[in-house]
Amino acid sequence: MLAHLRLTLICWLIYLAITANFEPSNLVVGLLIGFAIAMILRPMSQPLSLRRLPAALFNLAKYTVWLGIDIIRNGIRVARIVLDPKLPIRPGIIAIQAGMKSELGVALSAHAITVTPGEQVVEIGDDGVMYTHCLDAIASAEGAEEAQRRRRAMLESIFE
Amino acid sequence: MEDLGYLIATVAILIGTFFSIVGIIGLVRLPDVYSRMHATGKVSTFGVVLLTVAAVFVTPLAWSKALVLIALLILVGPVVSHAISSASYRLGIPMKQAVRDDLAGKRIKAPARQPQPAQAEPVE
Repeated sequence: MLAHLRLTLICWLIYLAITANFEPSNLVVGLLIGFAIAMILRPMSQPLSLRRLPAALFNLAKYTVWLGIDIIRNGIRVARIVLDPKLPIRPGIIAIQAGMKSELGVALSAHAITVTPGEQVVEIGDDGVMYTHCLDAIASAEGAEEAQRRRRAMLESIFE
Repeated sequence: MEDLGYLIATVAILIGTFFSIVGIIGLVRLPDVYSRMHATGKVSTFGVVLLTVAAVFVTPLAWSKALVLIALLILVGPVVSHAISSASYRLGIPMKQAVRDDLAGKRIKAPARQPQPAQAEPVE
């Protein structure tokens, strides 16, 4: 039931954000729709823990800011490569060990890599190895382990 | 306040358009499908997100709606480019000017997992 409650809350917030209408009737309709969707969907496996919620939300905000900075920095780097007359690319596929057990963790790591310009996960192996295509494979291979360690620490601080 | 909104919108439109153009130039100049996905990915992250930010300030679009839109764009964009590049690799489209390929020789197999009882949904 608690798991349903959390899902209801998330659906309700998204509904309110999309409709952008905070009249009481709309609040009630959104709550009913959110509850209906939560009943149809599978409940999430993790139990709701109110004690951990503020820390998780804070870590999520921190992760979002870190990801945004990473996207901007790499976007400028890729723009410089593309606009360079000599087109100095050294493309290649490197293997990055995700080092995470859960499929959600591997998926979110792969998302964080792919959303930054210049690197994208082409294939995920059975053991959580992310085969990543890089525009500059030699430069990316140097920093890949360190970046993945930071990424893993941040994701674990949100979900553990 | 109104002027500030227009200023932010103008800057966002300029930067967004610049990165969109760079993305398209990259699409034309880069050699193969994998590199090109990097360039087009930038159009979706920088270009569309910044244009949405501009729209919040100069059109009646609610900021909360824009936030959901941006979150969905950021979530879905990488999935699309991963799907295209993964499909290209499985089809055997070669990389050009590759300096290394750690995936070469690894046999990619379809995920042949047993459906778990807890989530026994029909997989098509």
